[in-house]
Amino acid sequence: MLAGQLMDLRSMLHTQGVIFAYSGYVTEPVLSGVGEALKQKLTIDDADTKTLRSVFAIFVEQMQNMIRYSAEIVQTQPPPASDAVALMEIRYGILTIGREGDDYVVCAGNLIQRTDVERLRARLSKIRDMSKEELKALYKEKLRADPEQGSKGAGLGFMEIARRATRPIEFDFADIDGDHAFFALKATI
Amino acid sequence: MRDKLDIEPTSRTPAVAFDFVNNHLKISGESYPEDVTEFYGPVFSALDTYLGKLSKGTCRFDFELIYLNSSSAKAVMMLMDKLEAAANNGASVEVHWFYDKEDDTMQELGEEFGEDLEAAKFHLEKMAD
Repeated sequence: MLAGQLMDLRSMLHTQGVIFAYSGYVTEPVLSGVGEALKQKLTIDDADTKTLRSVFAIFVEQMQNMIRYSAEIVQTQPPPASDAVALMEIRYGILTIGREGDDYVVCAGNLIQRTDVERLRARLSKIRDMSKEELKALYKEKLRADPEQGSKGAGLGFMEIARRATRPIEFDFADIDGDHAFFALKATI
Repeated sequence: MRDKLDIEPTSRTPAVAFDFVNNHLKISGESYPEDVTEFYGPVFSALDTYLGKLSKGTCRFDFELIYLNSSSAKAVMMLMDKLEAAANNGASVEVHWFYDKEDDTMQELGEEFGEDLEAAKFHLEKMAD
């Protein structure tokens, strides 16, 4: 029963070509650990340098997006070793890395506020439809600009993903409840 | 002023070797820190102090980065801005960007940073094998 259930889950991922899957609360140490294992796997696969760096770079941006922006949040005590005193927030997300033919695919999904769906859709559509040259110009413009309201990074993450991907990025939204939607983003390398 | 700033590399942060006595500054390795501000804050302030006293002097800055995430790119741009400002104030500043020849993304990023340098001299070079 137990082995059967877990085998089913593993088989389902395997059928979809998934090599790595993480579903749960995402933290920076999770990024570090999974990232190291991912590098090792790409080295074993004998991926060329450019592919290795691109898969890794997209993985980092996808993980940091979930760590910073997922709308599924719990509050927790800081780790005992840290000197932080306030409660900290950790956020939930799902990330998979797999193969589709000769390509690598990195998918990430997390909850967002429904009110953010249209803004995000517009932003991602624009990035998806840009040529590499247009992306380069926009990247440079955003590098110089102040971060957008609500941004906790440089606001460059999606552009970095699109620039490193070898095919146009894919994204989708699904309604969850009155307040939340599920956001999924796929990058192919 | 301190003679140098040396920060050992970690899996997520680059090595920083600022040799202020010999006017040779270098950042090398990978950069995707948990907290960009926490890592680069001390680097910025050490560089500000040094450049503030450089006046008409000469300085060389080497970037030998294998990978940097998007928030680190912003930090690198701020380093470039500081170097350009020092050059505008009369210092002779040479910036060398080394890239892995097998990763043209890092080459392109170097070109993009280089386009914004006018007073500082920019050199784009392949890393040695």
